[in-house]
Amino acid sequence: MPDRAATPPAGRRSTANGVRRVLLAAIGVLFVISIPWYRGGVEPSIWFGLPDWVVVALACYVAVALLNSIAWLLTEVSDGDDEPPGSAR
Amino acid sequence: MGVAGLVVYLLLLCGITFVAARARQSNEPSDHFLAGRSLGVFVLFLTLYATAYSGNSLLGYPGEAYRRGFSWIMATGFMMSIIVVFHALVPKLRPIAVREDFVTPGDWVRFRFGSEPAARALLIAVAVLMSLALANFLFAQLKAMGEMAEQVTGGLVSYEIGVAVLAAMILFYETLGGMRAVAWTDAFQGILMLVGLAALLGWLLGEAGGLQAMTTGILEVRPHAADVPDRAELTNWFSTIVLLGLASVVYPQAIQRVYAARSGTVLKRSFALMTFMPLTTTLVVTLIGLAAIGRLEGLGTLEADHVMPLLLGHWASAGTGAAVAALVVFLGALAAIMSTADSVLLSLGSIAAEDLVGGSHHDPEATRLGKRIAAASIVAMAGLAMAARDITLWGLIELKMELLIQCAPAFLIAIHWPGLRARPTFVGLVVGTIVAAGGVFLDAKRIGGIHIGVIGLMLNVLIAWAGSLAARPGRQSRSAPA
Repeated sequence: MPDRAATPPAGRRSTANGVRRVLLAAIGVLFVISIPWYRGGVEPSIWFGLPDWVVVALACYVAVALLNSIAWLLTEVSDGDDEPPGSAR
Repeated sequence: MGVAGLVVYLLLLCGITFVAARARQSNEPSDHFLAGRSLGVFVLFLTLYATAYSGNSLLGYPGEAYRRGFSWIMATGFMMSIIVVFHALVPKLRPIAVREDFVTPGDWVRFRFGSEPAARALLIAVAVLMSLALANFLFAQLKAMGEMAEQVTGGLVSYEIGVAVLAAMILFYETLGGMRAVAWTDAFQGILMLVGLAALLGWLLGEAGGLQAMTTGILEVRPHAADVPDRAELTNWFSTIVLLGLASVVYPQAIQRVYAARSGTVLKRSFALMTFMPLTTTLVVTLIGLAAIGRLEGLGTLEADHVMPLLLGHWASAGTGAAVAALVVFLGALAAIMSTADSVLLSLGSIAAEDLVGGSHHDPEATRLGKRIAAASIVAMAGLAMAARDITLWGLIELKMELLIQCAPAFLIAIHWPGLRARPTFVGLVVGTIVAAGGVFLDAKRIGGIHIGVIGLMLNVLIAWAGSLAARPGRQSRSAPA
């Protein structure tokens, strides 16, 4: 059953969309810095029982999970009325 | 004990299947393949979870962590990227899918490109690529099922018998209950997976000595394992995030779950939960593969896919409590594998019956045809799994992704850019596929750490974009509706 009652008003929708875009951009940055490009030639140390660059990557992925979860909750997924782009019908 | 556990597990699946079959509302494809679009948050989340995490994740990822060491932490990242990339597809696809009553991924292609020249060719090409990827996926699951059945019963059930019996079980509940049975058994299997993984994490952090002991053990046998990976490995890390993120959103079984959700709200809540699952699943199995380095040094490339069952075997020998916990993990892994195989089989049947053969959404004959195709596919893949046991699971994942990613422009670009045309999209897909398949078969799978499929996709996108721009003046009448 379509869940139209969950559709927020236009003003709130636009704010939510803006926040969602910022979160998605932050997620992109986190993916890039999760990869230890920046660590050339430096001897790794052990943090929490793991190499430091592994801990940094994991911290990025935990942050991605949190931000992405919020982004999904802010996403409007409607059930039927949007016009499709470029439809031939 | 392993055989008894396996029998109880299979009996529970049978019970769920009979309940799901009784809940069936019609014989139409939308009821059989999408459960009448009735899946709520609990079942949808667990079926998405159980379908996304497969034999590849439970056996292949620990094997790859064992082979590659700490850099395999990338797996947690690329599994997470899938749920991020879905943002680009789901909010736009879902409303159209509901309004237009989509059942298969090809329905989107048919709708979006309509009667354009080459639209039919594009539809067939997408359906063929998806079918090939699904057949590959099914083969990998059957292979992993056989391995797990042999391990869980301590060799009492052979690999071949395991493949045959479990394949028959999947065919039984998929044919009898369709998506409803698949989703409900997935929910049960997803819970079993989570319980098994929690037990596994408890073992790793407790009895196995924790992360410090794990890293110390690794450094004893591989002194340079903690070093930062070289440039090629870092590029491959990034490339794998791109490959998996873009290819996985066009997984047919994932797209069909987007169609099958009860509502958009249910869908977004399920994805909000799904984003945490790489931390509870991929990370745990990666750590298991790493823990195996210090304990099982010297395994060959193929043997590395067995690190999970081998470690569980060691654990089980520690006492009755450990044996029961290990059995739960074994059954959780088997559940992960079977739940992916059933979803893949259901998608394969629907794509073949509707997109390739041309069956109608409202024709029960299309449902029957889908079931017959699914039966033929699982018999063929089971035979192949018995004959070709010597292929690494990660190798199969890469091959599947290299092909599937070529379908991404027909979905991800087409849904955002009204100017994309069918003919250049088709040409791009064919060129990208030739490059990707050629690279795989000529053993040039990566160039400078970048997957050949990603390079193929770049060419694919370039052709689709440039060709669509070139076709613009003559295609005004086909542009987006006002």
